[in-house]
Amino acid sequence: MSPRRRDYWRSLEELAETPDFRARLAHVQPRLAVALSGLDRRRFLQLMAASLALGGLAGCGPEPQQRELLPYVEQPPGIVPGRSRFYATALTLEGDATGVLIAHQMGRPIKVEGNPDHPASLGATSAVMQASILDLYDPHRSQSIARRGQLADWEDFIAAIVARREHLGTGAGLRLLTGRLTSPGLATQIQVLQQQFPDMRWHQWEPLHRDEAHAAALTAFGRPLDLLLDAEKAEVIFAVESDLISAAPGHLAYARALAARRRRLEAGGAMSRIYAIESTPTLLGAKADHRLALSPDEIARALRALAAALGAAPADWAHQDALPTAWLAAAAQDLQQHRGRSLVHAGREQPAEIQALVHAINAALGNFGTTVRLIEPVAAEAVDRRQSLTELAGDMAAGKVDTLLMLDTNPVYSAPDDLDFAGALGRVPFSVSLARYADETALASTWQLPAAHEYECWGDARAFDGTISLQQPQVRPLYGGRSAHALLAVLQGDTAPDDYASLRDRWQIEAQHRGFGAFDPFWHDALQRGVVEGSASMTIDLQPREDLAAQLPPPARPASGLRLLFRADSAVIDGRFADNAWLLELPRPFTRLTWDCAALVAPATAARLGVADGDVATIASEGGRLEAPVFVLPGQAADCITLPLGFGRRAGGLAVGVGFDAYRLRRAAAWSAPAQPLEKTGRRVALATVQGHDRMAGHDLVREVNLIALQRDPRALRHDEPAASLYPGFRYQSDAWAMAIDLNSCIGCQACVAACQAENNVPVVGKEEVLAGREMHWLRVDRYYSGSPDAPSIAFQPVPCMHCENAPCEVVCPVDATVHDHEGLNAMVYNRCVGTRFCSNNCPYKVRRFNFFAYARMDGRPAESWNPDVSVRDRGVMEKCSYCVQRIRRAQIDADREDRRVRDGEIVTACQQACPTQAIVFGDRNDPESAVARRKAGPLDYALLEELNTRPRTTYQAIVRNGNPVLEDKS
Amino acid sequence: MSDVAGDGTLPLMAPGVTSLSLGDDISAHVLRPRTLLWWWIGFGISLALLLVLIGSSAWLFIAGIGIWGIDIPVAWGLAIAEYVWWIALASGGTIISALFYLTRSPWRSAISRIAEAMMLCAAASAGVMPILHLGRAGFFYWLFPYPNVMGVWPQFRSPLLWDFVCLLCYILMSIMFFYVGLLPDLATVRDRARGRGQRIFYGLLALGWRGSARHWRHYKTLYFILAAIMTPMVISVHSVVGLDFAGGMTPGWHSTQFPPYFFFGAVVSGIALVIMLTLPLRRAYGLEAIITARHLNALGKVMLVGSLMLGFAYFWEVFGPYYDADIAERHMLHERLFGVYAPCFWATILFNIAIPQLLWLPVLRQRPVPLFLIALGVIIGMWLERFVIVVTSLHRDYMPSEWGNYFPTIWDWATFLGSIGLFLTLFFLILRLLPIVSIAEMRELIAERP
Repeated sequence: MSPRRRDYWRSLEELAETPDFRARLAHVQPRLAVALSGLDRRRFLQLMAASLALGGLAGCGPEPQQRELLPYVEQPPGIVPGRSRFYATALTLEGDATGVLIAHQMGRPIKVEGNPDHPASLGATSAVMQASILDLYDPHRSQSIARRGQLADWEDFIAAIVARREHLGTGAGLRLLTGRLTSPGLATQIQVLQQQFPDMRWHQWEPLHRDEAHAAALTAFGRPLDLLLDAEKAEVIFAVESDLISAAPGHLAYARALAARRRRLEAGGAMSRIYAIESTPTLLGAKADHRLALSPDEIARALRALAAALGAAPADWAHQDALPTAWLAAAAQDLQQHRGRSLVHAGREQPAEIQALVHAINAALGNFGTTVRLIEPVAAEAVDRRQSLTELAGDMAAGKVDTLLMLDTNPVYSAPDDLDFAGALGRVPFSVSLARYADETALASTWQLPAAHEYECWGDARAFDGTISLQQPQVRPLYGGRSAHALLAVLQGDTAPDDYASLRDRWQIEAQHRGFGAFDPFWHDALQRGVVEGSASMTIDLQPREDLAAQLPPPARPASGLRLLFRADSAVIDGRFADNAWLLELPRPFTRLTWDCAALVAPATAARLGVADGDVATIASEGGRLEAPVFVLPGQAADCITLPLGFGRRAGGLAVGVGFDAYRLRRAAAWSAPAQPLEKTGRRVALATVQGHDRMAGHDLVREVNLIALQRDPRALRHDEPAASLYPGFRYQSDAWAMAIDLNSCIGCQACVAACQAENNVPVVGKEEVLAGREMHWLRVDRYYSGSPDAPSIAFQPVPCMHCENAPCEVVCPVDATVHDHEGLNAMVYNRCVGTRFCSNNCPYKVRRFNFFAYARMDGRPAESWNPDVSVRDRGVMEKCSYCVQRIRRAQIDADREDRRVRDGEIVTACQQACPTQAIVFGDRNDPESAVARRKAGPLDYALLEELNTRPRTTYQAIVRNGNPVLEDKS
Repeated sequence: MSDVAGDGTLPLMAPGVTSLSLGDDISAHVLRPRTLLWWWIGFGISLALLLVLIGSSAWLFIAGIGIWGIDIPVAWGLAIAEYVWWIALASGGTIISALFYLTRSPWRSAISRIAEAMMLCAAASAGVMPILHLGRAGFFYWLFPYPNVMGVWPQFRSPLLWDFVCLLCYILMSIMFFYVGLLPDLATVRDRARGRGQRIFYGLLALGWRGSARHWRHYKTLYFILAAIMTPMVISVHSVVGLDFAGGMTPGWHSTQFPPYFFFGAVVSGIALVIMLTLPLRRAYGLEAIITARHLNALGKVMLVGSLMLGFAYFWEVFGPYYDADIAERHMLHERLFGVYAPCFWATILFNIAIPQLLWLPVLRQRPVPLFLIALGVIIGMWLERFVIVVTSLHRDYMPSEWGNYFPTIWDWATFLGSIGLFLTLFFLILRLLPIVSIAEMRELIAERP
């Protein structure tokens, strides 16, 4: 630079004249260089913005090629800021697909909704499905490929596989381990592999297997078959610890059908009656009109007695000791009176013997062909998965396996301990784990590949009834995940796999084969709707063998002492969602525990053993021993200890160290095991339960009425005389939004809670804050017990904001931060809130939630995953359910543009949309024809704490129990 | 009620006290060139506690209100309990200085300054609490009805707003009342001051008071008017604090008796704190000549009356839930009497009602040590009473599913200790800088002495 002081522009101008600068300018900005030649000062200044000049002078390296940047002058077609676009795909759990629609905002997937066209969803979602969006964005996901812990890249892996293929020969040492698969695409790929490597073996493993049902089908029908049930047609249901509405394939659809039948009362039809016998409470058991808590032994004997009473088993089985024979006789009689209109169902944990007895009873009741239908197995290959894994582990230990590919399965964590899978894996020289997290199996494998989320890849999968869905990616893999299709393609020798092309090619053949006509319209329609029309399985007309009961082994001798029951956790399932903060913090329906698991014990047993909530005890079986906190659960069978699976993870994200690992006690993947006597350690831990008290303490918060009493006096529950108020009521010229929640339909599944969390950007607070009583869920599902602790009646009650007409919160806020709007919404103005918290103190329903800390900032979610329609609340601000005001406004804007009123049903709140049983209805109370107004006019409608005269907008419809008069009189 | 002490036989002051000696004695404490050791010790401890308040508040603003033990359902905790406690203590000071001024009780004069100083310091501690307790403390001024571009006013139906207005007026009026009462004494100190700095300081504070007849006439009128305003105001300020609770529908709060109930509490706890401050001061300053057994007797009697009134309120508080048969009220009451917080409730009864009955005995109420101990018990009891009202009412309300407990964290306690530090620091400063007995009023008494 020149030693003389020069001003900025002059020096720039001078610099511009150097040949070096001109050469560089000609390279970077050819047109500018032309313009600059023959430049005078004035023209230079006209042309040159300072920033551009500086950019050029700063000496950015020359770009390899010129790229065009497009200004956002015109919107890309179809993308409207602030509007959601929906794309159909499907989400699988243990292979079973449920159709979803993913809401996108500005190209980002934001929210999961059920696909109304999909038979397993019918528009509803489960809590797990709602939380899947968080899984997609989870920053803890595995993000890089590793070979023996060292970073590697995809090319390295391809090279390794190509090299490996040389040694595979016929594939005798090649093994594939997957979960249960229903994807026709994956099945085809595996078939092709099998042709390439004839000696290859494909193993499957699911810790929450349905092998008992598989074995029963083999016994009853001679081949594996799946069941399709009709819960709506069934007038009497006998549930044997049934997972019909909680976990069975198609449980959302079954819940819908069951609730429709329970609501028949509204339509004037008959209501179904449910009997349940179970060792640990299930959602269906909570809905039952008559429920018995029985140990597994007692269940076996009860079912034998029932089968004998119904003529499905030898008559001498009818006499079983120490059973409530009157109860069983009444149930048997009821079933007998509803032949062809009844249904017996056993959950997956029930042994094959019971599953077979259930087939025999259903056959004796003439239910096959009416409420029970048979279809070919939905899974690509129906096998006994325990056996499959056992064989694999045996071969691995014997050194017969040299190449093992594990797709989206975590056997090191979930395999039974007696198999010593981790040890066997150590003997496999080349193992690949395709997993979304650096989990136990991934860390123990030679190659660790990040798996793509289902929302990131192309694929197909089948639903519980066989219906096929196409999966389309919602976003490009966020963390470089790879699909199972791609991995198998590489193994087949395709080093540049194209999932889309292979899926489309395969379907081109398939569509032709199935006679779907022209391919392009079919393909377009299937992708758009998320369902391949007409792909449901055909019913097989088959009856179980006549002498089924006689085939069964003699009853086991009644075991004495404690029994362990291994059960899936309702939120983390088998442990696969243990990194999902929404699911970890989702209160479990019965225990209301979050972030933790506990050994569940019946009150009488706990009293006998001298343990209470939070007491840490040593639990031992022949499989091993572990220390677990005890939680006393009313409705649990005596002497049965339920251990939830899926906790105690040792690797793979958030859940490491949360709870205990019950898999360590589980031998041979059994669902129950004899336990040694409990030993108290003397330590106590705090369990993060969100509900402090289980009983209604004299309030009639959940109203319950017996059907007979209701028929005698249909208006028994209504108190129609309005209480007086000092202030004149609000007047609503147009709409008056209101909600009705049918407690009779509510099954307590928590889907609404998760949906609300996803829609409304409700932050996660963590275990310590839950223990401090600061959970943030805008909607909670309270659970109350009534009756005796060992045989309680269980009721669920979703509690969102009541949006009171005389809202106690509104009068006490000194700054008008919570106000009544012109449509009756009790609105919360976050920006105005100073955080006196008086509104929460004065809310008798305690639905308000306070940001004691900056929870939303502390939440680890990527910024792009939040719902842009809803404000994220900062520290020191109160928040609560808004009736999804953003959805109301969107519908109103649409209606305004079309110059019409909002139609009934046009506004669907997040909780309502997710609800599998349609328990929640929302709409305009002023319109007497609206669904919500009609529900409120019904005989079962009541307001929570109506004696306080808050006049809530949210009202409830009472639970109706359809008790058997024979049994009712006795009690 | 013209003479609450009633017992005219006890002398108001020792026979040897004269106008001149009194002026010298009291002024000497203020003008003393070397500060006494006990003052330094007391002030040092107070300042250390004040630093605890500053430190804990700083952490509160940095980390958020979550550092306290509050939760849903118990969204109000120690901060609110202490606010009520402090405001009640302040009110007690006003009752002595204003109410008993109006009733012309002669024993009031010797302790009115202590009571007023206490009132100011306690009001400062009280005033800090509601602001610290806000989720977003920086916006506390939104409670103030000021014109703003948003066109948003406070919500006039909220008891919190009434409370904010009442408290603000009360603190401003208290400062004025205190200062007006000080004027003649400031002039006395000014006249006796030797150092130039002291002369200027007290000269400015005395606002040119010369003690002319006109000054005295205006002064008397103003002081009387202020006392007449302060008396209903002290009743209103604590009644409105009661409305903060009664205005809510929470079981245990929603009760029409809360305004007088809270005023009763103010009487008993305020007098108790006056006793606790007067007795050590009497000893430290050697004021036995002007604060005599007569004063102790009167204070003891007022405290006893307050305790009886409070007992009346407690009775109705328990009677109500049984009378109106509301399930939630009754359940909350049972929980209050026999639940987790039951020890606090029974301690309240013990300290506020049972033990003060000892004051029926003249022997005990005229002796400093028993009187001090009973007063200390009342202060603790009243603190517990506020805790019980705030916490137990919230922890068991209408929805059993949301029942929960509240346990103060270390930061709750730090704020509590710190607020005591703020009170004591201010009080020690007043002790050092201002005459702690009203010289002017005492001179009146001496002049009127037969």
